[in-house]
Amino acid sequence: MRQLDIPTGKHVSRRQLLAGSAALGSMILATGLTGCGGTANAAVHDIAFWHLLSGGDGVKMQALISAANKMTPGAVVHPTVLAWGPPYYTKLAMASAGGRPPELAIMHASRVPGYAPGGLIDPWDMGLLAEHGVTAADFAPRIWEKSQHNGQPFSIALDSHPFVMFYNTEVAAIAGMLGADGQLQAPASPQEFLETAREMQKVTQAHGLSFGYLGSGSQMWRLFYTLYKQHGAAMELTPGQPMKVDRDAAIESLEFMASLFDDTVAAKSGDISTGIAEFARGDSGMLFSGVWELPTLQKAGLPFDAATIPTLYGTPAAYADSHSFVLPRQLNVDDGKRRAVYKFVSDVLKGSLSWAQAGHIPAYQPVVQSQEYQELTPQIHYANAADIIAYDPESWFSGSGSDWQTFFAEHVQNVLLGRDKASDGWDAFEHRTNTLLSRPNPV
Amino acid sequence: MSSPTTTATPRSSAIAPPARIISRRRRDNINGWAFAAPFLAFFLVFLVWPLLYGFFMSMTGKSLTGANDSLIGFANYAEALADSDMWRSLGNTLYFTVISTVPLVLVALVMAALLNVGLPAQWLWRLSYFAPYLLASTVVSLFFTWMYNPQLGLINDSLSKIGLPKVAWLNDPNVAMWAIVIATLWWTVGFNFLLYLAAMQNIPAQHYEAASLDGAGAWRQFFSITLPQLAPTTVMIVLLQVLASLKIFDQVYQMTAGGPSGSTRPVVQYIFETGFTGYRLGYSAAISYIFFGLIVIVSVLQFFIARRRSA
Amino acid sequence: MATQSLTLPVPEATAPPAKVQQPRRKFPVGKTAVTTAAAVLAVLWLIPFAWATVTAFKSETDAASPKVSWVPPSGFTVDAFAKVFQDGNIPLWTWNSLYTSAAITVITLVISALVAYALSRIDFRGKKILMTVIIASIIIPPPVLMIPLFYQMVGLRMIDTPWAIILPQVIHPAMVFVLKKFFDQIPRELEEAAVMDGATRMRIFAQIILPLSRPILAAVAIFVFISAWNNFLWPFISTNDGSILTLPVGLQTIKSAYGIQYAQNMASALLAALPLILVFLFFQRQIIKGVATTGLAGT
Repeated sequence: MRQLDIPTGKHVSRRQLLAGSAALGSMILATGLTGCGGTANAAVHDIAFWHLLSGGDGVKMQALISAANKMTPGAVVHPTVLAWGPPYYTKLAMASAGGRPPELAIMHASRVPGYAPGGLIDPWDMGLLAEHGVTAADFAPRIWEKSQHNGQPFSIALDSHPFVMFYNTEVAAIAGMLGADGQLQAPASPQEFLETAREMQKVTQAHGLSFGYLGSGSQMWRLFYTLYKQHGAAMELTPGQPMKVDRDAAIESLEFMASLFDDTVAAKSGDISTGIAEFARGDSGMLFSGVWELPTLQKAGLPFDAATIPTLYGTPAAYADSHSFVLPRQLNVDDGKRRAVYKFVSDVLKGSLSWAQAGHIPAYQPVVQSQEYQELTPQIHYANAADIIAYDPESWFSGSGSDWQTFFAEHVQNVLLGRDKASDGWDAFEHRTNTLLSRPNPV
Repeated sequence: MSSPTTTATPRSSAIAPPARIISRRRRDNINGWAFAAPFLAFFLVFLVWPLLYGFFMSMTGKSLTGANDSLIGFANYAEALADSDMWRSLGNTLYFTVISTVPLVLVALVMAALLNVGLPAQWLWRLSYFAPYLLASTVVSLFFTWMYNPQLGLINDSLSKIGLPKVAWLNDPNVAMWAIVIATLWWTVGFNFLLYLAAMQNIPAQHYEAASLDGAGAWRQFFSITLPQLAPTTVMIVLLQVLASLKIFDQVYQMTAGGPSGSTRPVVQYIFETGFTGYRLGYSAAISYIFFGLIVIVSVLQFFIARRRSA
Repeated sequence: MATQSLTLPVPEATAPPAKVQQPRRKFPVGKTAVTTAAAVLAVLWLIPFAWATVTAFKSETDAASPKVSWVPPSGFTVDAFAKVFQDGNIPLWTWNSLYTSAAITVITLVISALVAYALSRIDFRGKKILMTVIIASIIIPPPVLMIPLFYQMVGLRMIDTPWAIILPQVIHPAMVFVLKKFFDQIPRELEEAAVMDGATRMRIFAQIILPLSRPILAAVAIFVFISAWNNFLWPFISTNDGSILTLPVGLQTIKSAYGIQYAQNMASALLAALPLILVFLFFQRQIIKGVATTGLAGT
């Protein structure tokens, strides 16, 4: 291997390179050492807190954490942000199984059935929470009910975040769709909705509705489940049994969705961000979206308002989920830390008005009833969603950011693109779901 | 090469008196196992035990949450063999192995051949080709995700500057695997390149001198001397590369997470997802063993091919 | 046989420095072509580094500008690096990677050298079986073990501790093999005098064998360290807690937290890449030799 030696005479340039990099290296080393030394303070509880909120939500959450940290000198909450969806939930389960998970985590309420039965999370002690002035009565009934599992509260909801409709008030006014109260006159049937959208399209000259869905199973599912639940239909997932579902209602919902993408009512295809951008530009009259996009739209500066998705099939319903606090199961519970966690959660709940500014409906009723919240628009125009929210059907594999929603996309995307029949797409998805249900239940 | 010396020495001690033989044997037995003990302890606890226990797990319904420990025999295997997602991910792994091994060997050979000519500033060339190998997969993925960015990425920008259409590198099911291969080529070709370079420089110069006297040109020398001399090295590199490629997980998980719509998901990711995302440790252990079986088959096949070639 | 001579390192201590080979032969034909081809490849291979560096020194606005440029309109800045140091855990993760990789390297060297010595020099009952088992285990790919190993680590309560990262990574059967082959080549005469003096096996190993084996020990150490430093899958599975992550795993989480902060992503990636690249610049010769000698046996 001697031949691999560096030829002599070329050393000068290499030395120069080395000197430069050595200087850079020592700089980094110095920074690294200071970084390691500064965290030792025994009296303070360090609380690890995982969440999956990024973008505008992440900024708001960081503000809530900083505020709570300032209020409680005895505890410092250190957030860790992981990628939304499977990466987050996988890691959370692995950490809990490993016994040294974070002291506190955010979880979608729809995911709790995958975590509570297997003992990956601990129930909340309502007595301890009451010491900080938070009780069951402080939550809207539907949300409180959702936080129970086998009669115990396994999650404490921070919000509910329904799938709603934003509309451009200027476009709606020109199209003559605004009522006396200045709000959109909600269409009450699929036909009326399509007509409303077409009227708006005449105003925008582009599209009536924006709804980006390409590549996002979550997005397709949110609208689908809203429409499905508006049929008053139920959906149940029981391991060992085929899925209980109203097939006709499901297919009708899918067919209606597919009929939207005719390049007049809505653009034939586009992903979530394309849809939002189109609405923000004023190239459409309506946008179906999660409430969490509110800050983005406000920044865009267009005149708009919001409402729950119009009831097209008789029964008011809005797909929603709740960001909820859960206690991942610890190998050794540190009592001081857990008390600090309870304090932190109650502080965040009480400060959730700022969370409402990000679009979410606070779960903590004293905030909802506060004068400040009642004056928040457009939030207050969809606050009624809290009474009609529909969470995902319960099972260990369903819920926000689950693989199940990815499967939905795999079978339904081609229906929406007009390549498959709605019945074929649905049957394939139902078959996939039944396969999952037939497999051993791992929780 | 060394086996003659190893066996020769103990034989020579046969002339010693019988009593000393016995005590020496005993001492050797004790010493031998004592020297082997630390390694053996780790080997048994962290390799043999998981290997056996994993097989046991594959016969149970074991879950990440601890629920459902019951023995279910080969039900997991039966389910896996009928699981189209598993076959698809195995197919993706094999596809990646085939389309990555070829460039990873050929480009390495070209690099080594170019350098072997004796360019000045050898260290600079070696640094350029080999440096990516020193990066963690995460760094490579960050670099390439950024360069593949459809709107802001360097690659698409360069393509459109020379009048070519933009490519949705990581978002197009037909392209994504090739994008992964390109990133992998950049990342690990330096390793094969080093092995080739070392092998080339071990070829005795007399071979070339004789050929030069016969009037053989550079190309002829390369094809009639260098390549044949490298054949055993090539066999080894291909073997190692195939085994390395079969283990593909990092880059895919980091760059596409297996998407778009499952088109890049390798079998290791499927094992990870069934076990940790889907909780079904027993089932994913069964898939692990099916994958292991595949690796054993590939290795044995390659071993026999290699033996035939070198024989 | 040529392959074997690759796995068998030439012991520097004993090999004569005779120049048998002549690497720089004259290839008068196409020297320019060869240089050009090598240069094109080198440029292609350096572009990702260059582009990452340029991006890292841009402002976020310039980095996300649809007008792709090598020289940003608003000039270069170290903002991204400053932000990474302020928000991120890069120094902590670097330290985690450093000490876990060092521990893995040391333990691997010690236990592998000991067993390799036994396999090379001591005639004990069961040696052949042991040898066969170790060689056979080379074929086991680590991903196959991730599920049972995780479960085992849960049982040992080691998840989210450095032990989970370190312990399963110290078994390198191929390295045992490499070491054994090297020991086989050390002439036995060197030990005989010591045996006459009644030296124990351990003394012979420590005072005669090890000093003669420095080159191969260095080669094995380099190889093991690089693989441990860059390993992703196992540390990713066995650790979740942000304070214990290694650099490659930590980088994966930073990616999602920053979302679309391109300059910060590149700054983090470069900082993570820097330590090994620096080490490489200083110890290039040893690293290349180490990788080439252990490489064929080691992957």
